[in-house]
Amino acid sequence: MTLLENTSPLPVYQGEQAEKIVRLRDILAEKFPAMQPKAGGILRTGLAAIDAAEGGLRRAAVTELSTASGLGALFIQAMLGVVCRERCFAALVDGARSFEPVGAEAALARLLVVFCADALQAVKAADLLLRDGNIALIMLDLQAAPPRQLQRIPANTWHRLQRLAEQTTTAVVVLTPEPMVEAAQVRITAGDGWTLAAQRRWQRDLIETARWRVFARRASGRPSPVWEGARESSTA
Amino acid sequence: MFAVILLPNFRLQAALRFREELRVLPVALVDEQAPKAGLLEISEAAARAGVMPGQTSPQALARCAALTILARSLAEERGAQAALIEMGGTLSPEIEATADGFCTVNLRGLRVKDWQALGAGVVTGLASLQLSAQVGIGPNPDLAFLAARHARPVLVVQSPTAFLANLALHELDPAPELLAVLRDWGIHNLAQLTSLPQGDLMDRLGPEAGRLWERAAGRTERPLRIVRAVEEFSEAFDFEHEIDTAEPLLFLLRRFLDQLALRLANACRVAGQIKLTLPLANGGAYERAFTIPSPTASVDVLFRILHTHLDGLRLDHCATGLRLLITPAQAERQQFQLFETPLRDPNRFGETLGRLAALVGEENIGVMEMLDTHRPDSIRLRPPRFHELANAAPPADDLTVGLPLRRYRPPIAAEVRVVKHEPVRLESARVSGAIRAALGPYRASGGWWDSDRWSTEEWDVEMEQRGLYRLARVGHEWRIEGSYDEPPRATRRGAPPLAEIPSPGA
Repeated sequence: MTLLENTSPLPVYQGEQAEKIVRLRDILAEKFPAMQPKAGGILRTGLAAIDAAEGGLRRAAVTELSTASGLGALFIQAMLGVVCRERCFAALVDGARSFEPVGAEAALARLLVVFCADALQAVKAADLLLRDGNIALIMLDLQAAPPRQLQRIPANTWHRLQRLAEQTTTAVVVLTPEPMVEAAQVRITAGDGWTLAAQRRWQRDLIETARWRVFARRASGRPSPVWEGARESSTA
Repeated sequence: MFAVILLPNFRLQAALRFREELRVLPVALVDEQAPKAGLLEISEAAARAGVMPGQTSPQALARCAALTILARSLAEERGAQAALIEMGGTLSPEIEATADGFCTVNLRGLRVKDWQALGAGVVTGLASLQLSAQVGIGPNPDLAFLAARHARPVLVVQSPTAFLANLALHELDPAPELLAVLRDWGIHNLAQLTSLPQGDLMDRLGPEAGRLWERAAGRTERPLRIVRAVEEFSEAFDFEHEIDTAEPLLFLLRRFLDQLALRLANACRVAGQIKLTLPLANGGAYERAFTIPSPTASVDVLFRILHTHLDGLRLDHCATGLRLLITPAQAERQQFQLFETPLRDPNRFGETLGRLAALVGEENIGVMEMLDTHRPDSIRLRPPRFHELANAAPPADDLTVGLPLRRYRPPIAAEVRVVKHEPVRLESARVSGAIRAALGPYRASGGWWDSDRWSTEEWDVEMEQRGLYRLARVGHEWRIEGSYDEPPRATRRGAPPLAEIPSPGA
């Protein structure tokens, strides 16, 4: 496993530009004290690679899980195990009505399922759940949504979700087929491509042997994170 | 001591309870079931304009052109009477619903120093429920009733003899014939009546005169017919016109809830369930019950639940009235567990569920439940009950084999070429190509004992160009039931904002 920092291709604000941003944040913090992000925390996933890099899923932040659909479904199953273990409640906003409960029976009583007609509706549903603030984990599953629907989601939607998440202690995971959530604080990817042999292996083995990679925006100690770098963690 | 709580002009008060703007105007009440009976009750402004009860509507309108005529509403009267009985119940459990608009309360055993303050409290309480009351307190029910009729707004009878002496004879509502005889004798008030010997009076005028004498002397005693206040908190309103927008309903609902919350507080209860009924122009009614996740008497919370529902409500016919019934419950006392993460605000969550249901449809939201059958995709969604979950967490089952399925709902029709009983090629709208490997068949069937017979043969297949799918053959038709792993379809959203960073060792 490796951990890298400060090597992001994202814009790095320096000098006068950075000072302006800091001043703007101070003004906003003074004018809108209620909008200050709450202390987040971590929701442990039980997945060694992810927990080693970040400690788990960041609460009060949007995490993007950008993988093939099989790994996305595996991740959902793994998180349902976390829901049972932590005795919390989760919501799965399913943008393509594709969730199959077989294998997750134990967690179903703690999982609110929202079947949506399309990806845009799914984003609206996630927005409502995030404003509610009662749910510890919201999984917005867009992996099975048609590409045309994903293209219609305005980019600023993700920034709004991130701003909403900052006011809560909810961990938000957006499952996408490829990276598209610009405001994500953490991005998780993994190696893909399963063969039929996977159908004869334990799910926990499949999850652990996936090549998870974690990219994170490093928090600057300021109310909201600054694009300063990224780090990678992967299991070989 | 006994107290009588009297609501003068009760039927008119009930009709004007949620029509504040009409209270200072000339208003008269008619019974639409008995139109020939004339005006039932009139407001003070109407009386000043020369309108009198018993007049017909045209006669009254001839006297006062600005007169507003309202129809009597039994539902509104029931709500007002219930509020009256509940208020009586705050004083004593021994209440008699003597008649519409007044009740008698037995105050014996109550250690009260200031009866005037007690009565004033009742008047204030009923005023907050938009009801104007008069309270009379006396040593027996009849005296208390007479006191209530003369109260402005509270009258405590300390000396019955002095109080009764100045009352006119007709205050006791004697039979007209008896009243006429007594008036012929020059008897006009109760002091004059009680100065006559009771026995002689009975000898000449009969036992009714004896009873009248006893009432005039303030000596009557009668047991109360005790009623138990029914814990049914309801309010009703009938519109004069049909309503086709939500605003008037919301305006009234807010006022209903204000009133009902006060009544709930008086009874030390909270709302467990709300039932909303909208009588419709076609004679039908729209009904909807809302279970409050965490019973509360908070007006804001209850109103938000109703507001959220009405926001998304579309009816084929206009509403002609509004009924709101609250089923009370005991306030919850919840001890949070050390390792449990409960819903922080169950009512807010319930409200969010309502909004989600309005967005995606009620049938598309809930907690998933697997039906007791092996038939594929036999699931249903039921409303979540997170706040009622037992503290013990069920163990997570991590002994599952294989990749989880992403089900296609509905399944995708496919054409499958089978060679030597194995699928070798798949053609469909979603995926097509040669099949590299297949696992199966997995056969399942059920319902053979009744008409709901089903049978399926499932295959897990790996495509040559990548992708794992589940195929199913039902009869002679093939379909793709879902995917275990599917290659991503390009979204063309441009370059990703985060790029993978190669490790130093790479």
